[in-house]
Amino acid sequence: MAEPVLEVHDLHVTFSTENGPVPAVDGIDFAVAPGQTLAIVGESGSGKSVSSSAVMGLLPSNADVTGEVLLDGRQLAGLPNDELRKIRGNDIAMVFQDALSALNPYYSVGWQVAEAYRLHHDVPKKVARRRAVEMLDKVGIPDAARRADSYPHEFSGGMRQRVVIAMALVNDPRVLIADEPTTALDVTVQAQIMRLLDDVQDEFGTALILISHDLGVVAEVADDVLVMYAGRAAERGTVRDLFFRAAHPYSLGLLGAMPRVDVPPKPRLTTIPGTPPGPGSITTGCPFQPRCAYTHLVGERCITERPELTPRPGEGDHEAACHLGRRPEVIL
Amino acid sequence: MSDELLALKDVKKYFGLRGVPWQKAQAVRAVDGVNLVVRKGETLGLVGESGSGKSTLARVATRLLDPTQGRVEIGGKDVTKVKGRRLRPIRRRIQMVFQDPQASLNPRQSVATILSTPFRAQGLRPTRAQLVELLEQVGLAEEHLVRYPHEFSGGQRQRIGIARALSVKPDLLVCDEPVSALDVSVQAQVLNLLADLRDELGLSYVLVAHDLAVVRQVADRIAVMYLGTIVEEGPAAQVYESPAHPYTKALLSAVPVPEPGVSRDRIVLTGDVPTPVNPPSGCPFRTRCYKAEDVCATKRPVLEPVEGSTEHRAACYFPELPTSERTQ
Repeated sequence: MAEPVLEVHDLHVTFSTENGPVPAVDGIDFAVAPGQTLAIVGESGSGKSVSSSAVMGLLPSNADVTGEVLLDGRQLAGLPNDELRKIRGNDIAMVFQDALSALNPYYSVGWQVAEAYRLHHDVPKKVARRRAVEMLDKVGIPDAARRADSYPHEFSGGMRQRVVIAMALVNDPRVLIADEPTTALDVTVQAQIMRLLDDVQDEFGTALILISHDLGVVAEVADDVLVMYAGRAAERGTVRDLFFRAAHPYSLGLLGAMPRVDVPPKPRLTTIPGTPPGPGSITTGCPFQPRCAYTHLVGERCITERPELTPRPGEGDHEAACHLGRRPEVIL
Repeated sequence: MSDELLALKDVKKYFGLRGVPWQKAQAVRAVDGVNLVVRKGETLGLVGESGSGKSTLARVATRLLDPTQGRVEIGGKDVTKVKGRRLRPIRRRIQMVFQDPQASLNPRQSVATILSTPFRAQGLRPTRAQLVELLEQVGLAEEHLVRYPHEFSGGQRQRIGIARALSVKPDLLVCDEPVSALDVSVQAQVLNLLADLRDELGLSYVLVAHDLAVVRQVADRIAVMYLGTIVEEGPAAQVYESPAHPYTKALLSAVPVPEPGVSRDRIVLTGDVPTPVNPPSGCPFRTRCYKAEDVCATKRPVLEPVEGSTEHRAACYFPELPTSERTQ
């Protein structure tokens, strides 16, 4: 892999609440190189969104973040807010799921994109506006010069998401974090947005961190995948490692549970019993053990000992955190 | 036909937009002339994007909304005009499962109360054994009777919603996006549950969903909606294997497949769905269609049999020809 632009080492996030500390992310590592896409996959409560917000320094004040967040080798975690503000939106930008709440209903979209530019560039308003129109055009807003004066409510969901992407890209960020960018969109619009993100990466060499629960989207755009479960990494590897050589029972379960549109249906979907644990339910053993179909093959260790990521056969750095050393056979 | 459970005949549902004084009041044409039949024992998948009118159609079919025009027939009987108390026998045959189990369960009622409500609405008093049986049918247990909705996970709440719908032993369940609020692993559990209940109880379903993969997993027959009309319908295998309507084809091609390296001939549609207040003349899809010609703007195409099939129909002047050998 090329030199990574963003590296995260041993990231821990713990929220202090009335009911005591709630660990949400419990030691994860990831890295992404220019032009590459890393997908972080997981179900609700797995800590995937918290991890990315931690990278951006966007967590509320009751979050305790430890670990290294390195942008070009420079430590971001623990930087004072005014330093972080120079990086946020400039070197690292973020696109959220809900475009409507990411935009201010009071200002025209052109103004909002221009403002994002002026926050990091000392230029006259006119120049910023020109830049905004240029970006809106680039993300496929038709008739951008005129539409720049429209307000968010005058756009459809897909167009709003384009505006948010324009805003995120206006400063040529090195890293773009997209948190479920297409979840709220219809599938035909989703296809448009995924193509747009792909074009953007080709043109600007942006590193993309895509947070998603949709394995279809992940299979299509990701180079590397990190599967999270209960605040930990269950498995990581290239996209082909994950889809063709899944080594963690949870990854395998997720793949089996996905219905597919392109092949005749299976009589039954494979399921994972139970429900994903909420944040804070981090245990001593393997967090997936209560739902795991393979735990009887290993025994006590699953309950007593936390599995660490260990190398698995694959293309690159394929690793899984499971005591079952070999690839699990599919159980139906 | 005797095995017709539900039939919708030229159903329209318009919602009035309140007019401002200087403008003429306009109507949102949510459902704009739909004919649809659900037969005994089948699962009909109703798919479409947001704003296509699929949820409105489901609510008209369950008589939760009155159609602006057209007829709703249940078991061959016209029930369009049935009101109030006389709706009860209909509710007994058709029940609905909603998308958001959080919002469709009363947080202040215990599961026992929630499950007895449909009985009481029918003037019945359920026994405890009946309630326990319902819970067991959906994979829950007797101990859950005294609990409240907040004590359950999303998937379990959806099971309670399904149990409630099953309480009056309906023939037909109309499920509006039953799994879209659930995590993937839990979604699969609920889909399998729906399939099991169908086999055990001989239920029929109308499954309203935007997720085409989910629908393929469970439906026997598919109806694709666009801007309030059905643009294609037919046996699931045929519609998925060789879609005839350009919209269906584009829609299917847009769904990402969970397998890296699978190349898909993707048709990326441009633009957005037009507003149902002022739908395009002629074919509603023509503004985004890659095949549109002048004739498409003149008159709305009607559903016509696709070459080589009697069941598979599409409303298009230039339907796609069957691509491969049909799997029958």
